[in-house]
Amino acid sequence: MIVIDRLCYQSKLRYINASAKFVYAVLTLILCIASRSAAAAAVVFFVNIYLTVAKGGIPFARYVKFLLVPAVFLAASTAAIVVNLSRTPLDAFAIPLGEWYLTGSVSSVLEGLRLCGKALAAVTCLYFLSLSTVMTEILGVLKKLRVPGLVIELMMLIYRFIFLMMETASAITTSQNSRLGNRDYRTRLRSFGGMASALLVRSLKRSGTLYDAMEARCYDGELKVLSEDRPAGKKELLCIAGYELLLLGMAIWSWMR
Amino acid sequence: MVEAEGVSYTYEGNERKALDKVSLKLGRGRKIAFMGGNGSGKSTFFLCMNGILKPQEGKVLIGGSPVEYTRKGLLEVRQKVGIVFQEPDDQLFSASVFQEISFGILNLGVDEERARNEVEQVIRKLGITPFRDRPAHALSGGQKKLVAIADILVMHPEVLILDEPAASLDPKHRNLVRSIVEGLSEKGMTILMATHDVDYAYAWADEIVLLHEGKVLRQGTPLQVCADERAMEQANLEPPAVMRLYRRLVQRGILSPEEGPPKTIEDLERRI
Repeated sequence: MIVIDRLCYQSKLRYINASAKFVYAVLTLILCIASRSAAAAAVVFFVNIYLTVAKGGIPFARYVKFLLVPAVFLAASTAAIVVNLSRTPLDAFAIPLGEWYLTGSVSSVLEGLRLCGKALAAVTCLYFLSLSTVMTEILGVLKKLRVPGLVIELMMLIYRFIFLMMETASAITTSQNSRLGNRDYRTRLRSFGGMASALLVRSLKRSGTLYDAMEARCYDGELKVLSEDRPAGKKELLCIAGYELLLLGMAIWSWMR
Repeated sequence: MVEAEGVSYTYEGNERKALDKVSLKLGRGRKIAFMGGNGSGKSTFFLCMNGILKPQEGKVLIGGSPVEYTRKGLLEVRQKVGIVFQEPDDQLFSASVFQEISFGILNLGVDEERARNEVEQVIRKLGITPFRDRPAHALSGGQKKLVAIADILVMHPEVLILDEPAASLDPKHRNLVRSIVEGLSEKGMTILMATHDVDYAYAWADEIVLLHEGKVLRQGTPLQVCADERAMEQANLEPPAVMRLYRRLVQRGILSPEEGPPKTIEDLERRI
């Protein structure tokens, strides 16, 4: 997660209008899932990789590693669709197990592959967004979409404090390690418990001071902040519109077939 | 500008008073250093001056009028008196520098256009531009401190309170923060600063307030306070290095005591 955050801040696509990126990612995601065509999924998949890696400058090896995480889950769940346990062998493959067969049909294999491709393509949409758009700017877009203020304020605070808490936790763990706090299983358990409780106490204290500090700046129940707007380029908008239309066309065509 | 009349404050569940009948008069445009050990009441005093804590006894006057603990009254006080907290991580709530700085000015109810301009201005003035696009968790301690100061300056307070602004900063950022404070003071801002650095307080301040266990031990010019050996000892403070050196030189007959102690090392050097 921290790596994604850091890469996102380095992305060359970072300063492009956040709404444009958000709309691109969400529309593409919806069309990719709605469409039945494998070709559309392939287009989405490769275009997103191209945008994120080539245009955004995210290292390719890193990106592949990120993709492998959901790929493992996907493989496991696709296996459940493709593989059947049955007394009669099906046409694609059949492994005899006594009287039963571990078997699958050609159509289910194709279906599984298509599903897999679609899901991976959908994941690349989300990766595009999270590897090019900074969290605080996504929040700005959500605000424009009239998401309730409370939700946005919570997200903003959580995003900031995840990092602070992790910093604190790692500092505590380091100091425990330097005192042999992880010598064996027992001490490791005890150290972890100690760390967790220290973290809780500190978080409570910190929330108190944070509240004081916000009050000192005239806080009255609503976290009002300004976002930096970066104007959307005409060319980008046109490209996005054209691309989404193409995907829409492919989706419609796939439904009619 | 800032006045406390017999202010007492006790934290819930504590027996000891954090502030015990503190009476202080702090003039407009002055540079006032607050000194005293941990738990001497500096931070509590600051929180009372800004209306975050309501003293159980006594009253606080800002600009001559007593603080009203109503929504409107507090808003007014908090605009006039800004606090830069000691730990920037306790103050910065947003990961975005721009959002963070815009918070205070928007709370004052100005329109977006003006708020945007003010934020841009303070970002330029404090030299935040090179790291304005970085997330708060990727900033160095010194950079966070500058953002924390910008947070407050954007609200144009008349009184600026800094709680140990130099704590855990590297020398470069410490000097940067100090020069910013100096600039603000030259423009007439009243500055209250908590510090443990006797040498700095002695050279910088117009006035030093020594606090000890919630009471005012001594208030006066740096010279008066630092020369008060009993008060200094009680607050566990050593006199500034310049003063100690000066005394030795006088003892040895190298300097004559007529002119009184110098303010800085350079002053002392000139006299030798």
